[in-house]
Amino acid sequence: MMRKFLGPVVLNVFAWTTILAVAFPLFWMLVTSVKPQSELFRRPPTMLPESWTFEHYWHLLSQTNFLVYFRNSVMLSTVTTLLVVTVATLGAYSLVRFRYRGRESLAFMVLFTYLLPSVVLIIPLYLMLVSMGLSNTLFSLVIAYTTFALPYALWLMRSFMAGVPDDLEYAAMVDGASRMGAFVDVILPQLLPGIISTALFTFILSWNEYLYALVLVNSDEARPLTTGVMNMLISSFNIEWSLLMAASVMMSVPLIIVFAFLQSYLTRGFGAGAVKG
Amino acid sequence: MANVDFRAVTKSFGAFTALHGLDLSIKSGEFVALLGPSGCGKTTTLRMLAGLEFPTTGDIIIGDRRVNDLAPGERDIAMVFQSYALYPHMTVAENMAYPLKKRGVPKADRGPMVAKTAEMLHLTALLDRKPKQLSGGQQQRVALGRALIRDPKVFLLDEPLSNLDAKLRSQLRAELIELHRRLGRTMVYVTHDQLEAMTMADRIAIMEGGNLQQFAPPAEVYARPANRFVAGFIGTPGMTLIDGALVQDQGRWLFEGDGLRLDVPALVAGASAGPAAFGIRPEDVHIGRGDLQGEIVLTEATGHETIVTVALSAAVRVVARVPGTPSLRIGERVPVGLDAACAHIFAAGPHGVRLNHPSGAAGADETDNIAAPLRVASKGVVS
Ligand SMILES: Nc1ncnc2c1ncn2[C@@H]1O[C@H](COP(=O)(O)OP(=O)(O)OP(=O)(O)O)[C@@H](O)[C@H]1O
Ligand SMILES: [Mg+2]
Repeated sequence: MMRKFLGPVVLNVFAWTTILAVAFPLFWMLVTSVKPQSELFRRPPTMLPESWTFEHYWHLLSQTNFLVYFRNSVMLSTVTTLLVVTVATLGAYSLVRFRYRGRESLAFMVLFTYLLPSVVLIIPLYLMLVSMGLSNTLFSLVIAYTTFALPYALWLMRSFMAGVPDDLEYAAMVDGASRMGAFVDVILPQLLPGIISTALFTFILSWNEYLYALVLVNSDEARPLTTGVMNMLISSFNIEWSLLMAASVMMSVPLIIVFAFLQSYLTRGFGAGAVKG
Repeated sequence: MANVDFRAVTKSFGAFTALHGLDLSIKSGEFVALLGPSGCGKTTTLRMLAGLEFPTTGDIIIGDRRVNDLAPGERDIAMVFQSYALYPHMTVAENMAYPLKKRGVPKADRGPMVAKTAEMLHLTALLDRKPKQLSGGQQQRVALGRALIRDPKVFLLDEPLSNLDAKLRSQLRAELIELHRRLGRTMVYVTHDQLEAMTMADRIAIMEGGNLQQFAPPAEVYARPANRFVAGFIGTPGMTLIDGALVQDQGRWLFEGDGLRLDVPALVAGASAGPAAFGIRPEDVHIGRGDLQGEIVLTEATGHETIVTVALSAAVRVVARVPGTPSLRIGERVPVGLDAACAHIFAAGPHGVRLNHPSGAAGADETDNIAAPLRVASKGVVS
């Protein structure tokens, strides 16, 4: 009798503890960003700010390069995501649907990227990009992010692609579609959940990336948010906590929007029966 | 309307050859069933005709045009996939309209065509559903509808009724026969269900191991199986086949095997003495009269008839079909007659060719199987 109640209780306590542990830093970030400077280091700390201020946000937007970094990050992540999703989708289609020599080994070889720590890859990559005349450009970061997002994206899309029955495409071809037409009309809609997962993964990865951005880009024109904000607010002597928290909040907003928007797509489409099982 | 020709078509998957030189001429407007056991190459044949697989060698002709190099969409065929292959993200109406859309039928014309086809297949109430909201039988009809909405040269149907319950299956079987009569289009119908093939097809192509075994109308396939494989494959319960040898005794041909010595009728010219098989259909075996003696081993009553297995000797068991439910006890010894005129003689081996002319009467008189019992020349054991 006792166990019957105890089980759910333990489970609930565990779940809520986890949620709190994850959510509290976010809450603290939000609270800190709207506290005036004077309240910041008060002891004991105030859970909710006694007076609210948006001066840190205003300061970031008007007095700093924040908007430039933000625009860079948006462009960088969007272009990388488009590139990775396109290449991964077409690549997965090829790997699953066509038979050619080296197909399997090709799929495995792309995973080699993950066997080496990125620190090892970063110098050769930097030298290559410099010799291509791409140093200090956003595009160099697009290429760099693509190199480490693509292998995983390819494998993700490959498993989604493998779940789409051949017959669907063949049926479309018999019905008069070209191979490309069948791909667009019939395969792509089936891949939508996979494409969205891949896009989310790539976007978040690009948005939060720090190391490559630090090494490959050295000018404010091309700096994304991660390195830009660090560079601007954290020095050896001082950390601008309020500004940092305000910047962090604004950095999280696009991700939250993207998630909220795509979540329904992500779960929809799964489990839609295509052919009899 | 178009004829379909396979000319010496072979198909290999790597080292494995799925089809060994298929020659098949299907007439315009004909309903042909491809029948055979699992893995015999039926689907492969159909997919090559559809352009989804390419022949390793040989030519495929649709309507006097070689189509080997044509894409599936250019062959003017409609196909029902064994797996239905309904587009999951489209409604029933969109599924059925898709081939029209791809072939440039104006949007205004598609609606009425979808409505007409849906009505024919009793799908009108389901037009706005997605495939996953349909039962298996409904999905199957949508797949059929997506093919039948067009007026192609050839319809290809790959086991389209295989997953339906018996009632729905016979209902759709009738609908398809009716449809073929009305449209008069060439149809190629893959099945491993001989009842479907026998009841629907103008001609049946029986395949096995990547080889065409016989291509003939259902009645002929039944009455005059071209070889031992076809003889054993067609008919439920199957033909009894007894291995033995053909011998010549004072100018008469006899079949000897497993203690039996039987007269054989009407051998083809060129038949020679040697190993052979003797086949007899259940309806040509008579219980209760005849010159042989047998012991009842098994009776299976289905209501309107009873399938009786009789042991003629330790090694030879024949199956008889008896109308009604006669009172026969297991272990009872009864006279048994084998209808000589209806016997089938085949050369040795699993694909041994037919060696005698048929009576033509086999299978025609299931209920009235009164015919001259086979004279038994001798009951002596043959060494
Ligand atoms: N893509 C392929 N690669 C290798 N072998 C194949 C391939 N497709 C079919 N085969 C082989 O070819 C033979 C014929 O296959 P096919 O699908 O035509 O059989 P089938 O007559 O349709 O059988 P079933 O009644 O089970 O559907 C089988 O032995 C099968 O294993
Ligand atoms: Mg098949």
